Amino acid sequence: MTEYFGTTVADIFATMPKRFKPEEAKEVDIAIGYEATGEGGGKWKATIKHGTLKVETVEGELTGCKTTIHTDAETFVGVTLGKIAALDALSSQKLRVAGDPKFLMLLLPKIFTPYAAPAKKPDAVTARDIIATIAERFRPEKAEGVAMTIGYDLAGEGGGKWTIVIREGKCAVREGLADPLTVKMTMEAKTYAGMMVGTIEAVTAFTSGQVKIEGDMAAAGATAKYFLKYVVPGATEAEELISLRVINSIEQRFATGPVMGRWFAGIREKKFLANRCPKCGRTQIPPREICAWCRVRVHEFVEVGPKGVVTHFDIVYFASPDPLTGAVRDTPYATAYVVFDGATEREAITLDLKQEDIPRLKEGARVRPVWAEVTTGSYRDLIGVELDEEEGSI
Amino acid sequence: MATKRVAICAVAQHKNDSDLWHKRFQGMLLDVLEELQAQAGFTFDEETGVNTIVSCSDDFFDARTISNNGVTDVLGAQYRGEEKMAQEGLNAVGYAQAVILSGYADLVLVMGHCKESQSESRRMISNMGFDPFYGRAVGLDNLNAAALQARAYMKKAGLTEEQLAGIVVRARQLAARNPYANAREIVEAGKVVASPQLCDPIRQLHAYPVSDGAVGMLLASEERAAEFTDKPVWIAGFANCMDSYFLGDRDLTANFALKQAAGRAYRKAGIADPRKELDLVEVMDAYAYQQPLWLEGLGLCGDGEGARFLDQGGQEKYRVNLSGGMLAGNPVIIAGLYRAAEAALQLKGEAGERQVPDLHRAVAHSTTGAAGQFHSVLILER
Repeated sequence: MTEYFGTTVADIFATMPKRFKPEEAKEVDIAIGYEATGEGGGKWKATIKHGTLKVETVEGELTGCKTTIHTDAETFVGVTLGKIAALDALSSQKLRVAGDPKFLMLLLPKIFTPYAAPAKKPDAVTARDIIATIAERFRPEKAEGVAMTIGYDLAGEGGGKWTIVIREGKCAVREGLADPLTVKMTMEAKTYAGMMVGTIEAVTAFTSGQVKIEGDMAAAGATAKYFLKYVVPGATEAEELISLRVINSIEQRFATGPVMGRWFAGIREKKFLANRCPKCGRTQIPPREICAWCRVRVHEFVEVGPKGVVTHFDIVYFASPDPLTGAVRDTPYATAYVVFDGATEREAITLDLKQEDIPRLKEGARVRPVWAEVTTGSYRDLIGVELDEEEGSI
Repeated sequence: MATKRVAICAVAQHKNDSDLWHKRFQGMLLDVLEELQAQAGFTFDEETGVNTIVSCSDDFFDARTISNNGVTDVLGAQYRGEEKMAQEGLNAVGYAQAVILSGYADLVLVMGHCKESQSESRRMISNMGFDPFYGRAVGLDNLNAAALQARAYMKKAGLTEEQLAGIVVRARQLAARNPYANAREIVEAGKVVASPQLCDPIRQLHAYPVSDGAVGMLLASEERAAEFTDKPVWIAGFANCMDSYFLGDRDLTANFALKQAAGRAYRKAGIADPRKELDLVEVMDAYAYQQPLWLEGLGLCGDGEGARFLDQGGQEKYRVNLSGGMLAGNPVIIAGLYRAAEAALQLKGEAGERQVPDLHRAVAHSTTGAAGQFHSVLILER
């Protein structure tokens, strides 16, 4: 049987009775016909009636089915495994449903546990297979003037140690690790194979520590462009879709007005000025024109802090990048809800906690402000907070 | 049982200004809200008050995603239902009307704001409205696109520099009587003609000034309108129409979308001949040439006759832009909502020094997108 995504259409139907949940199908009375065309395809009929399931192969016409699904074998497997989005397959007409597709999309996940491809012998493609194609994939026109040696230390089945030498517009692959190397990459052989065939994202593999890079990081990043993309033998190359990078920037100047402006005037003097609702008494930080709970203007200002307590926090490992430069700040960092002394309990402000203090951060921790060297009346004046341990109140 | 008619009960405008650097837009909106409440005496009571707010703001000018989320408190929208109109604010009136006609709510507050001064350049913002490759890279923005339209229309209608100057001079004279207008200084025609070319043929004084503003209104079902006003202004018809995004696909002088929008609004209002049945017109004239062009689109004169219409006194006959119009300064995303507010004030008889007598029915117009891609038309009557 022809395999797609590592499994067959027949296996999906063979495992149906095992995956069937009769208790969920008590009210169901339906016959579903399946026609999968092409290599490895066929016709099947699943009859579900009051908690029972009958699966049969069909020769000739599919008859007596309330709903029938028509697609090619590859799409059928892809959609079943979630490798192809069902909506995409439907909208591109690769998958057609005679009957109500929405009904099916709701019903099937309810009455069947999801299909998983059977455990397999190591992937058909090994790191060794891929390394063997490196020389033929080399693009001398992209590597003009480049001289570098790249070492791969790939552990596990199908792995090994190789050195790729690029010099004078030529590329050679040698067994073993040369010394010196411009850059050395160490990982599991299956990680390498996964990255090359596209099932593992390189950035994720790197940031999650599956790939270790020693030496020239920039060189490691540049290697991809010296080679044509690896294509699994027999697979058809996906159509190239062009995307374009654009960076937009418009300078803005935000008024703070007479109300929020008091806050910034205050932090210039290293003071926290909240405004207090005349009706409910809550202290707004930063101050706003109106108390949205009571729908009244708020005129009275009170000084709170400068110390406070952390009531809640999280720890950020993947920081939001700067939209213009793409630069990502140091992680991890902690974002803390700080309730300043004298402020009402619900009115926290989210502030940065000093990085070194993260390991000792707990809910209820006392904190004090960390100020910029020069305060100018900007949000940058208050760098964040740090633990205030002298008080011994943690 | 859903209502049959929807009334505008109260309107409030923030004075337009070229640079309200000292005030947050939240503060501007709160002033408008408080004035509306003072006029109409509504509350936000769960049973009898306003529970649905339709807002209008521009995410790029506000520099935040889903910009309405940042102003909910001063809209009175916190702990109430709120939705944002992504097109020009006049559409919020159409949307609010639909909400009331459907029976979903019997009171709707419409609130819009924009601070053009907040951005380094409003042209950079309108440049962002174009496709990120050719449109932006070529430097297309609202002004540049308008100048393409201006040149084509001046040729088609025989519109002259003198006539353009006349439109601006008149707008300023009228704006001098409108306390909410931004550019209220009288200018001479010679100064208009001598003002620098921004984008030939559009001169500096042909273009609306950079403006900050906020505007709001209270709409109610027919059954409830009397609780809030003894001078309701009724919505007789509303419609809008979209043209192609791609400038090159459009005949820039054909008014295709505006004619469609106006035709639908007139049908809803039972207007067979707009030339005989409209007493007052407020059009969103961001640039001087647009005033006669949009008047053609509204069917007040024939195709290509806009320039002659000016000479024949069409502006006075139909009381066009007695507020001074957008040429006297309203920010881009709510200039049409200001048009509706001004038309409503005239019909109520509350337009102060700019008030004219004997009004029965008025039209307010708005447009969004480069060179009038999208148009909306609102018919109001007493």
